[in-house]
Amino acid sequence: MALDRKVAIVNLSTGKIDIKPISLEVRKKFLGGRGLAAYLLYKYVKPGCDPMGPDNAVIFSAGILGGTLASAGSRTDVMCKNPLTGLLGSGNMGGFFAPELRFAGFDHIVVLGKAPKPVYIWVNDGVVEIRDAKNLWGKSVTEAQWAVREELGDPDIKCAVCGPAAEKGVRYANVMTGIKNSNGRGGGGSVMGSKNLKMVAARGTMDIKIAHPMEALEFDKRYIEQITSAKVNQTMGALGTPFIWGATNSWGGLRTNNFQYNQLLYCDEIEPESIDEWSKKSVGEYNMTACFGCQVHCRAKYKIPDTPLARKFGVVGNYDEGPEYTSQGAFCCEPGCTRLDTLLICNHLVDQYGVDNLEIGHMIAWAMELYEEGILTNKDTGGLELRFGNDEALIEMIHQICNRSTPLGNILAEGGIRAAEKIGKNSIKYLVHVKGMGNLHSDERATPGLALNIAVASRGSDHLRSRPAIDLYHLPVDVLRKIYSSPVPYDGPLSSDHTEYIGKPWQVYWHENCYMAVDCLGTCKYHTTFLGATLPNFEDWSKVLYYNTGLEMSPKDIWDVAERCNIVERLFNIREGMKKDDPYKGEILVDRYFNEPARRGAPDVVGKTIDRQKFIEMRAEFYKYRGCDEDGVPKPETLKRLGLENIDKEPSLV
Amino acid sequence: MSEDRSTAESLRSTRTYGQVRCMNPSCMGRITPDPGAPKAKCPRCGSEWRIFWVKPGFPRVKGPVWETSQKLAQEKWAAIQAQAQQKKEEN
Amino acid sequence: MEPKVLVINHEKCTGCRRCELVCSVYHEGVSNPSKARIKVEKWEWEGLYIPMTCRQCIDAPCMNVCPVKAIYRNEEEGRVHVDHDICIGCRSCVAVCPFGAMNFNPSEKRVFKCDLCSGEPQCVRFCDMKAVDFVTPSKESLIKKRNAAKKIADAKKLATTMSYEA
Ligand code: SF4
Ligand code: SF4
Ligand code: SF4
Ligand SMILES: [Zn+2]
Repeated sequence: MALDRKVAIVNLSTGKIDIKPISLEVRKKFLGGRGLAAYLLYKYVKPGCDPMGPDNAVIFSAGILGGTLASAGSRTDVMCKNPLTGLLGSGNMGGFFAPELRFAGFDHIVVLGKAPKPVYIWVNDGVVEIRDAKNLWGKSVTEAQWAVREELGDPDIKCAVCGPAAEKGVRYANVMTGIKNSNGRGGGGSVMGSKNLKMVAARGTMDIKIAHPMEALEFDKRYIEQITSAKVNQTMGALGTPFIWGATNSWGGLRTNNFQYNQLLYCDEIEPESIDEWSKKSVGEYNMTACFGCQVHCRAKYKIPDTPLARKFGVVGNYDEGPEYTSQGAFCCEPGCTRLDTLLICNHLVDQYGVDNLEIGHMIAWAMELYEEGILTNKDTGGLELRFGNDEALIEMIHQICNRSTPLGNILAEGGIRAAEKIGKNSIKYLVHVKGMGNLHSDERATPGLALNIAVASRGSDHLRSRPAIDLYHLPVDVLRKIYSSPVPYDGPLSSDHTEYIGKPWQVYWHENCYMAVDCLGTCKYHTTFLGATLPNFEDWSKVLYYNTGLEMSPKDIWDVAERCNIVERLFNIREGMKKDDPYKGEILVDRYFNEPARRGAPDVVGKTIDRQKFIEMRAEFYKYRGCDEDGVPKPETLKRLGLENIDKEPSLV
Repeated sequence: MSEDRSTAESLRSTRTYGQVRCMNPSCMGRITPDPGAPKAKCPRCGSEWRIFWVKPGFPRVKGPVWETSQKLAQEKWAAIQAQAQQKKEEN
Repeated sequence: MEPKVLVINHEKCTGCRRCELVCSVYHEGVSNPSKARIKVEKWEWEGLYIPMTCRQCIDAPCMNVCPVKAIYRNEEEGRVHVDHDICIGCRSCVAVCPFGAMNFNPSEKRVFKCDLCSGEPQCVRFCDMKAVDFVTPSKESLIKKRNAAKKIADAKKLATTMSYEA
């Protein structure tokens, strides 16, 4: 059954492995994936622990629809206490790992303690083993994966692996799988590195029983068609996620030169169509690749062109996938670079080092601004001209950070807040972050709803936790009403205008539940109401869930699960020190959002800032919907309603 | 089964093809580019966009026509500065 | 009428493995790629994915090797069929198939292979790229001819543009 997968608790200090079932009661409360992971994190991580120490946990999770017929049941969530923020760390990646984990009999691998020497975890048809990783340690993301297949003699092994950046203790290292699928933003790789854990390798041949196979096949056909026929997904299937970057840059919604501007000018060379053209030239006409069970295929393949820069860094002809919109953000607009080869090289380097592209791009762009402001000098950079638009310096800094090979690289590897403490001289004023995590590449000064989203996102500044992206489409209010009054009624205000403040708190709240539900199911966000208004959500999931797993959950039941899991994440953050107005650990934007007007982009964007008072009001309204008091702390009655009132005292349900 | 359509499925009828939206946030007017045309101007706000055809009948905005967009942005910025100046003087 | 065959154009394949998924659900009621009749072989480091399944050979080695004549060809449907009432589970066919398309299910102790889903191949139905397609063999060669010709034409263009104009 899709419900009979287990949880393995692996203690690397003692070598002890416990295998536990997931009861139906727990399924109905948390479903699986990120939701159940949040609960496990809450119960298994020692409060207040050092995230890089043995008391932290790193949890690898598949969603409840992973490996089933559901469109793209491919996603792996990795959770831990984030070494970058000290708060919730959680990432999500596509590829083929989660389904393989399920075919091997497991939904969650909870890793505790610290191994005395490098190890990896081998999960195969119901059995979990800790093995010596001496042949894997020190290897790049891809080399390590090919090496473990060689070692175990099976080319179909799938891995959740960390790279050299994690081994070196960079605080924003990823967990990776395949060529480039990245579990970013959560610091999961860094925690793996701190535990001497190189990878979890999985291979399985166990059945996932489909509850109603023929109905599931038929419904699935219709469900997939709903997804692939959307314009946004057709565009994505042709151009990949770079089209999102392109669209946002068109009107001026991208942070450029750290945060000095909101649009990258004359960047035709790295626009989606140009990337696509090179991709096709280098790998052929059919240049897209997909995650498990996905018909959208949003990822391009490419080889690095032969240019002086590629030659200098020794990567000519190397194969990779992407680049995604986040790489365009990290290596184009943020550092102010406009060259295609730079983008393709940087994207390749971060994939090989296993480091978060958004965070490293953000750190380098910040350092560039500090250099231009004279806060960092040639003495600090070792003579490197760390100016905006210096492609070579950008690439050089990626190496220096991932290897921690220079004093500046070493400082920047610590993340923004720690680095700002070391650099001093008001450098913190230039840092654009929420909860200590660097903002992604989007600039939300013209879009209050999106600004609220990054401020309250549970893992720090982030778009994939609650972004009401369809807010940018100017949908008529009656369409918005339809979407946002289901599965729970909403008759408050809504506005088609995304420069407005009204109605946005409810949208952010709704999307936070929507994305949590997707992450519990373990399917892809591009298959729900994220970038397209007509893509499936709660009602559709209720059916997919039933046909595939037999679990009868109404749309409202799934909504309630999402509510519960969001509250658990919030409780974790509060326990680890989140306070709403804390500049480092709070749910607030940096001053630049309120004080520096946007200067580029479409006429209606020029001059925009976020209105502080209105922002605070939006946040208060959001807290109200979330069932929290004015400080953003869940009220006792909310905990009671969601069955979480004993979460601190009860023994772990798993 | 086809009878019980979800909200998302029922909203499919609102999808439009052959058009793009003007990317100026508070305009967002619908623009119908000439088939195969590389550029299109918004009839409402005057913004001008470079067009890419994903496939025939399926245009998308590739980016702004840089000169036009730069000019409009600079005019707007100058107007804001002038306004701020005026306010200062009034106080 | 000329029976249709599965035709695989691996260049179109995105590597999503939905074909494996629907094949195993349709035949076994379970999601389990190891029980699918089709398998996507991958060389991830070059982005190469090749779906492999039974070719329904005319002079089928499995049919020829089978000691109890459990395998025969259904000419009308154009497929090679295993009669499980006769099959003794010796796995000679598994050993001899040049494509690895004859599989063995250890728990049920029997061989299994692509049966073209009795005329409505699910892999084709779900593959949005049509990297697996269901066409008559003569149509297949016509398509192949045209594609090959196009490649020759493209090759010239590609050769002159491979190095990127910085
Ligand atoms: S469904 Fe099609 S695209 Fe996906 S793996 Fe199978 S053959 Fe390839
Ligand atoms: S089972 Fe093997 S030998 Fe037999 S027909 Fe199929 S491919 Fe040919
Ligand atoms: S035709 Fe049917 S049996 Fe054969 S590979 Fe495709 S889905 Fe499987
Ligand atoms: Zn307009």
